[in-house]
Amino acid sequence: MKKSIWIDLVVIVFILYVIVPILMPVIYSFSVFWQGLLPKGFTFEWYRIFFSDRNTKPALVLSFMVAISAMLINIGIVTPAAYGVNRVKGQIASFLENAFMIIPLLFPPVVLGLGLVQTFNKPPLNISGTIYMVMIAHSILGFPFMFRSVYASLKTIDEKTLSEAGKSLGANLFQRMFYIIIPNIIPGILSGSLIVFAISFGEFEVTSIVSGFRSQTLPLVLFQQMGNDFRIASAISAFLIYISLSSFLIITYIGRKYQKGKKV
Amino acid sequence: MKKTNFLFLLPMVIFIGLFIIYPYFNIAKNSFTDNWTGKVTFQNYKNIVINPQYFRAWKNSVLFVGGSTLIATLFGSIIGWVSIRFSERVRNMVSSLFALPMTLSGLVVAFAFIVLLGRAGIVNILIKTVFKSEGFGLYTWSGLLIVYTFFNIPLFSIIMMGAFEHLDISLVDAARNLGANILQVWIHVIIPALAPAFLSAISLVFASMMGAFGTVLALTGMSRPLLSLLIYSNTSESTFNIPQADVLAILLGITTIIGLLLLNWLGKRN
Repeated sequence: MKKSIWIDLVVIVFILYVIVPILMPVIYSFSVFWQGLLPKGFTFEWYRIFFSDRNTKPALVLSFMVAISAMLINIGIVTPAAYGVNRVKGQIASFLENAFMIIPLLFPPVVLGLGLVQTFNKPPLNISGTIYMVMIAHSILGFPFMFRSVYASLKTIDEKTLSEAGKSLGANLFQRMFYIIIPNIIPGILSGSLIVFAISFGEFEVTSIVSGFRSQTLPLVLFQQMGNDFRIASAISAFLIYISLSSFLIITYIGRKYQKGKKV
Repeated sequence: MKKTNFLFLLPMVIFIGLFIIYPYFNIAKNSFTDNWTGKVTFQNYKNIVINPQYFRAWKNSVLFVGGSTLIATLFGSIIGWVSIRFSERVRNMVSSLFALPMTLSGLVVAFAFIVLLGRAGIVNILIKTVFKSEGFGLYTWSGLLIVYTFFNIPLFSIIMMGAFEHLDISLVDAARNLGANILQVWIHVIIPALAPAFLSAISLVFASMMGAFGTVLALTGMSRPLLSLLIYSNTSESTFNIPQADVLAILLGITTIIGLLLLNWLGKRN
């Protein structure tokens, strides 16, 4: 009995450790005035100013476009790669696994951005400072998360046995892909893509290097506003938190639903 | 069959080759050129030896990243250990909550900590009124260390919670029954049994910290120079000098690789 209370307290501390900092911009964004210990008043004013600013809409549209593209590129490129790695055997498989895990560690966002800006600033691929560059950079940052998520799903469903069964019933590769494998790993694909979406939406480091003045995403606007108007910055920060939180709520929901489905 | 496997991997391999590896070759190549004339030169390399600003930034990076990694290792390991006693439901909840900071913009986290620990932040107001003391300096190295724990401790904990879930508790019980104290249990049972997880968590935090700069930039601008921050400022601010940034990026890469190899060597030795 005594022990379980102690455990509950520890869990509460862990939860507060993440929740308290996240709540700060949110509370700030709704308060009229916060100089002392407690915020005063309640207002939507900072959101109103933020959303009515003429630079906001393009930044929002751009952020959504980039995040969705990064997500789609990850689905299109990383899902087949995870399937491929799961298919090959022995040393090559572990080499590829390690490579896909270690490469992102060796190339942090700042170095990635530095390489991209001096490589694609001339024909045949002159995309430096454009939205396409941001999309590519964000896709790369998402790779390890997407790969881990899809690869883990492939491992848990025992894809090889399922595919063998499908094959013996006469399904070709295409049919096995769309009727057996993808429906089984869809939770992994969805959670992976939502993480990619959330990471892309809040990304500042590589974006600040590769994007020009023409392509300002929301975090870049936030960076300017932090030095400019702390009130509007609070509304943008809170908005970015809502995006992350909603992605996570959906991921948790997918996870739960899938877990339940498995037990039945 | 083999050919189709290769085809599945091909798009990702091409993407990585074209947008990571090939640009990195350009970094290496351009590091030997002059920013203004484009001529071949070793000056950028000489600069990092001659100019103390670069050495200082490198030293700052090593100390800051080392400190951050140490703090994350300590707390992350303890959290992993405590999580053994959680029910499955609680463990899942805590680990999905701990995944949240990873996706948050470094700027948002900077904002949050300004409100929490900044000069007029609530914690400092409390400290000033209760203890009548100076208060906590968010814009110092130790302030930055604390802010980055918000990313690193949860990241480390997630990996350790997964590892501790698979730890054979009877090993720990056996050691305790044989009279081992808690420190001996950690050194002789837990760390060897979970060595791969420790290694990958430490490597992950270490390497990602080496490149991090967003939150530092938002909190202290260029006044706390790190290697990553200097690369950024040479790339996108008025002090524009890409070849110099290239040299710094190579220095950063070498430092990261040495760090990772050292960790790997330590892991194998144990």
